[in-house]
Amino acid sequence: MTQPSPGDHGAPATMDRRSFLRTGLGGAVLLGGISLTAGLMGCATAPARNSDTATADDYAFRFFTRDDIVLFEALLPAIIGPGLPEAPNDRRQQIDRTIARMDAGVVQFGSANQNELRQLFDLLNFGPTRVTLARVWPSWEHVSTTEANAFLNRWRTSRVGLFNKGYMALIKVTNVAFYGYKDNWPLSGYPGPPAWAMDALPQFRTRA
Amino acid sequence: MALMDRIAQGLAGDWKVTDAATLTENQTLEADVVVVGTGAGGGTTAEILARAGLSVIMVEEGRLYYQKDFKMDELTAYASLYQDGMSRVTRDGAISILQGRCVGGSTTVNWTSSFRTPEPTLNHWADHFGLDDLRPDILKPWFDGREQHHNIAPWAVAPNVNNDVLRQGCEKLGWSWAVIPRNVKGCWNLGYCGVGCPTNAKQGALLTTIPGALDHRAQLIHGLRADRLVMAQGRIDRLLATALSADGVTPRNIQVELKARHFVVAASAIGSPGLLLRSELPDPHNRLGKRTFLHPVNASLAEMPQQVEPYYGAPQSIYSDEFNFRQGVDGPAGFKMEVPPLHPALSAAVMPGHGKQQASNMSKLPKLQSVIALIRDGFHSDSPGGQVSLQDDGSPILDYPISDYLWTGMREAFMKMTELQFAAGARRVQLMHLDSPWFTSWADARQAIAKLPMTPHRVRLFTAHQMGGCGMGSKPEQSVVNSFGEHHQVANLSVHDASIFPTSIGANPQLSVYALSARNSVHLAARLNA
Repeated sequence: MTQPSPGDHGAPATMDRRSFLRTGLGGAVLLGGISLTAGLMGCATAPARNSDTATADDYAFRFFTRDDIVLFEALLPAIIGPGLPEAPNDRRQQIDRTIARMDAGVVQFGSANQNELRQLFDLLNFGPTRVTLARVWPSWEHVSTTEANAFLNRWRTSRVGLFNKGYMALIKVTNVAFYGYKDNWPLSGYPGPPAWAMDALPQFRTRA
Repeated sequence: MALMDRIAQGLAGDWKVTDAATLTENQTLEADVVVVGTGAGGGTTAEILARAGLSVIMVEEGRLYYQKDFKMDELTAYASLYQDGMSRVTRDGAISILQGRCVGGSTTVNWTSSFRTPEPTLNHWADHFGLDDLRPDILKPWFDGREQHHNIAPWAVAPNVNNDVLRQGCEKLGWSWAVIPRNVKGCWNLGYCGVGCPTNAKQGALLTTIPGALDHRAQLIHGLRADRLVMAQGRIDRLLATALSADGVTPRNIQVELKARHFVVAASAIGSPGLLLRSELPDPHNRLGKRTFLHPVNASLAEMPQQVEPYYGAPQSIYSDEFNFRQGVDGPAGFKMEVPPLHPALSAAVMPGHGKQQASNMSKLPKLQSVIALIRDGFHSDSPGGQVSLQDDGSPILDYPISDYLWTGMREAFMKMTELQFAAGARRVQLMHLDSPWFTSWADARQAIAKLPMTPHRVRLFTAHQMGGCGMGSKPEQSVVNSFGEHHQVANLSVHDASIFPTSIGANPQLSVYALSARNSVHLAARLNA
């Protein structure tokens, strides 16, 4: 699977393969046990209530826990970056609404993929693994955007495939929920579906 | 203008369509044939059998969505119309799997490209899998018939800029290109095929074979998950299924038992092996779920000087087979080059970045162009494909290790896509790879690509074409079904979908599935009516 790859990473391929296997295996075992451990150690394991976010309107979370929301409140400013508004209230609202849309998307993922995501979120929320695997020292509510960005870059550039995978999972679910949403289309210069077509199609007609 | 909605009319009329979310008690139903899945294969099968006078029940796990639901919105469409809310991946997460999960299956969300199975592929099948009765001249009438049924013809309108860049690049470099045949009638050229055709132009299963079956008294139950086929005295006796809630995912405590003389499984290259594995059907040679192929896709992004608007216009209208079979059918991995549409959510999912870099890339969307390479897997001994197995919850999962043979083909594809985009006038080109910068010249790109690490996750990979896992062949030791899709060990079971392909095919598979299913269903109808 891992083939010799010179380029700017330098390390000999055999070394890479060995360390990948070691860390990959350890990571997998750790991931397998982490959800259970997280629950026993007092991490939030129930879906969050409305009151857990400031402004996610009336949305009732089905997957994201209170801890997951705190995690993504820390990560979103680094993942979306300049796409978020500056004004604190707007910013907070955008973040919370994006997290609510992520939750709605994850509900459709099916149980096996949800379990994978749960393991990833628990790994990041659980202190010992947050520190050792994500190398994020403060708990997420105290993580700055710079620190969150550094964490994302560590996992992105890591030679450990499992961390690359974790990075992609975090940014993909966030990027899709953010850039895919109507209000954020202007950030990508996407004008939306042609107005003439919407005017002509019956499914866009609202009947009294 | 295709504004008369055939589904709404049929539902208001005498069609027998049941949403399993509305069932209030356990059911036992009976028919001549139960068809599991309503995509390209299942729809074709149901229509042909129903027209032949057989009673048919179609079972679909996804829900029924049609024109009223198709509002050109990515987020709602990906959540409702795709497998796992578009989060499906291979076991190690390295390949994203795009696959429909709704009435009409992937034909409801595909980009309408409709190719005949390439002749070298059919001849390879005949030579290596004993499938002499699928040679090109024998299958020709079946392709002719299905092209007519689904209104398939080369796209007569000018390609959008996204596709035209592929054409221009090929012209500049002297590479072959051609216009893609599409299954549309009265297409508005909007560009939203992937989120459910809003104008009823797309002639997928949803608007052709499924209405055809329902018009001939077939019954459709959607939101119903096929759990297990149950054997009795060497035959399938019944299918056990579970109703899902209106959210499309949560199982209800309502069971449906379906009895039939014959069962046709058409639940896709992941779903069909999954159902057969859950059912613990005879598999004496351990072939079930093996040799799964994906046409693994890698991609390259170009920033063009002109407006591309890659979200508008027929998503796929130009292709190049220059490198598909050039080094022989079973030589180094060949690939087909096509273009994907780029809407904001899809782009954000495909571009692997965050923060400023992602915001900057996204902001250029109107000028972005993308080329994809579909690797033709399964023709060489170093491309044995993947394997479907079951997870703890009974759902199927695909392991797809990527061999060095495939990585070599993908690196070559990166080279050709980049060269093409620069030849067509790209200002900058970026590979969909975690280590790729934006290149400003073909010379720089070529040097970098030669050294790029080709490893899982770093190379962003996708598949929209899942094939194999219930492979056909003349020898039971090497295959699951025969050339008619008939199960080697179980007499009243057939498989009618892309899972029976013994290799990938080197082209978008919908027409291949339509044609083979039509042939095999006519054969089956004759058998059952004898």
